[in-house]
Amino acid sequence: MTEVQHKGQCLCGAVAFTVTGDLPTPTACHCSMCRRHTGHFLVSTEVQKTALQIHDETQLRWYRSSDRVQRGFCATCGASLFFDAIYRDWVAVSMGAFEPPTGTQMSLHIFTADKGDYYVIADGLPQNPQ
Amino acid sequence: MARVDITGGCLCGAIRYSAITARDIVTLCHCTECRRFTGHHWAAVRVLERDLQISGSAKLAWYAHSETARRGFCADCGSSLIFRFNDADFLGIAAGSIDTPTGLTAGQHIFCNEKGDYYEIADGVPQSESW
Repeated sequence: MTEVQHKGQCLCGAVAFTVTGDLPTPTACHCSMCRRHTGHFLVSTEVQKTALQIHDETQLRWYRSSDRVQRGFCATCGASLFFDAIYRDWVAVSMGAFEPPTGTQMSLHIFTADKGDYYVIADGLPQNPQ
Repeated sequence: MARVDITGGCLCGAIRYSAITARDIVTLCHCTECRRFTGHHWAAVRVLERDLQISGSAKLAWYAHSETARRGFCADCGSSLIFRFNDADFLGIAAGSIDTPTGLTAGQHIFCNEKGDYYEIADGVPQSESW
């Protein structure tokens, strides 16, 4: 049986990708780094790197935001796309990039101790301070 | 509506700004373009162009996703920073880029008819289907 595929892209379409398999339930990260990178907070799904196919990496850029993480974005449109755990076998893909239906629901908030002060988390999902 | 002094910048620090906001509320946009730009949904505070000072603007890249508006981001780190209409004297500064405490409060969700299917809006802040 053919596995499900989820397609996505940046704002301008220069960086398009396909994830094979169901999307793991997304996590919302409220740390200050994710908030600066995205402009609000990051919601992403952690997929196996082997399940992610990026069709054209010409406009894909990486910013090394810490020892263990690099963040992928499109050089043309600035879309915040990927959170790459460099030494791990997974990469987090921004949920906003996916074409609907995603077939999944957010399940957890993390780094809520560092969240922004202009909004509240009121969806009833579990919250981890880190 | 109160005006608020803010400072902020991108993740890598190449771009920093200071501003006086036009108001003290944050607008949260759920349109498809904003969601692709940010990775979830957009959150921004309105600032008049004359009330904004930016350092590192050489690193501020722009993408015109339509004939009427464009979005600014850091060319080095990819931080999603600004939304502006081409013929307006104001722009939207990403709330996540503002140094805390921001002094701001979420005030309005817009374009909720295009929101993503993987989350709910449950904060009690007013919602509109488009503007």
